[in-house]
Amino acid sequence: MAVVDPVSPEQAPLLARPFYAGGDPGPIAGTLAHVPELLELALPFLGAVLSPSSIPFRTKEIVILRTSCVMACRYCIDSHTPVALDAGLTVAQTRALRDEPGYTVHDAFPDPRERVLVAWTDEVAGGKGPASDAATEALRAEYADHEIVELTLLASVTVLLNRYASTLRLPVAPATIDRLVVEGFARAA
Amino acid sequence: MSTLVADAVADGVIGERLWFYANYHCNLECTYCLTESGPAVARRTLDPAWMVERAREARDLGFRSLGVTGGEPFMVSSMPDTVGRLADVLPTVVLSNATLFHGPRFDHAVRALAGRAVHIQVSLDAPDASVNDAGRGDDNFRQVADAIPRLVERGLNVRIATTTVGLTPGDLARLCQLHRSWGIPDEDHVVRPIVARGRAALAELGGVVAGLHDLSAELCLTADGAFWSAFGPTVRSGRVDTDLLVTRQTAPVAVPAEAMVRIARGAPRGDDARLGIR
Repeated sequence: MAVVDPVSPEQAPLLARPFYAGGDPGPIAGTLAHVPELLELALPFLGAVLSPSSIPFRTKEIVILRTSCVMACRYCIDSHTPVALDAGLTVAQTRALRDEPGYTVHDAFPDPRERVLVAWTDEVAGGKGPASDAATEALRAEYADHEIVELTLLASVTVLLNRYASTLRLPVAPATIDRLVVEGFARAA
Repeated sequence: MSTLVADAVADGVIGERLWFYANYHCNLECTYCLTESGPAVARRTLDPAWMVERAREARDLGFRSLGVTGGEPFMVSSMPDTVGRLADVLPTVVLSNATLFHGPRFDHAVRALAGRAVHIQVSLDAPDASVNDAGRGDDNFRQVADAIPRLVERGLNVRIATTTVGLTPGDLARLCQLHRSWGIPDEDHVVRPIVARGRAALAELGGVVAGLHDLSAELCLTADGAFWSAFGPTVRSGRVDTDLLVTRQTAPVAVPAEAMVRIARGAPRGDDARLGIR
């Protein structure tokens, strides 16, 4: 049960109404709508950070899904599993990022650049203080400064959303659950 | 001065008045109350010093007048002084049911407000006690008819607000005759429809459905946030409606005011003139 119900379309505050124009905006926007002046700033920012940019869609979803797994955010793991598949990750890669038994990042990701990214993400999401010198140097060997900045921001924002969604116990959308069932990541209720 | 807000006020894009929803509790429980106010509801009062500080900001932003509503504002014992301090900043109208102006409270109001740039807008819905009291509670007509002449006599500026689903021309004429007899001219009498929000919506009283484009854009600060209109922070089944919420942040006033201007600049003009919702 959600801690805070999303604002219904009928009660959408004035600044929030554009986010409801396409129908149900989802639980993150729907809950942020309780504070519309934050919604109208936060959602474009979140969208810019999480959406495809100069960093490829696939790369971003690796970071988002892995961070969400480290943070144990059920909402974000389930919501981003279909997105990861849509971004071109294989089922095995997606299961490895989800830390499912029988799947390892080493086996699922032949590209060393992506393995470095996952290892660095594990430290960003799961550690305290800076990432280790080893993980940082490995990342710097594979990624340009602007990519490191954007990936760091992406992982950080994902942590924010993980805590937000977990703390408020946001419900996963029924359509997402249906997709997880179809893809074999969940059983039909 | 923020020219964004000042220009919007000057152009009529947003209203020149800043409203304060000073409190939500009331000694009455009117059938059409927008906020389900009554003696037992959560008070959600605004701090007097905070109100004065916001009033100064509003003046500096380009607002030209203030309004205070509730609940019954004069349930808050310090309200006469607060309204007096607000009037030092900008001309102020305070909405009241006028049933608390007795004894020391009456003297306090006179001391604080007589001869000031303050109007007390008193609710009176019909020229007959039976009709008026059906919506506003037993003995309301008698108490209002007792209070208004005393307020006028002591130099307070009084306006009358009539909220109705429709008075007959004859009833309206008798009501106007009544307020004129108290020394209140026609220009200080407003007649407005019941708005189908809050308790009025639940009771299905036949009021008008008023949304963004029907209501004058008059920024209203409350304990729950800043709203598009004093008709915005309505309460239904104990929950504050958010459909006319502008921002949760209310201080400094520039934050909700500038957000309101952005909304207003992008919104088509409404038909508030037809509905007469002020």
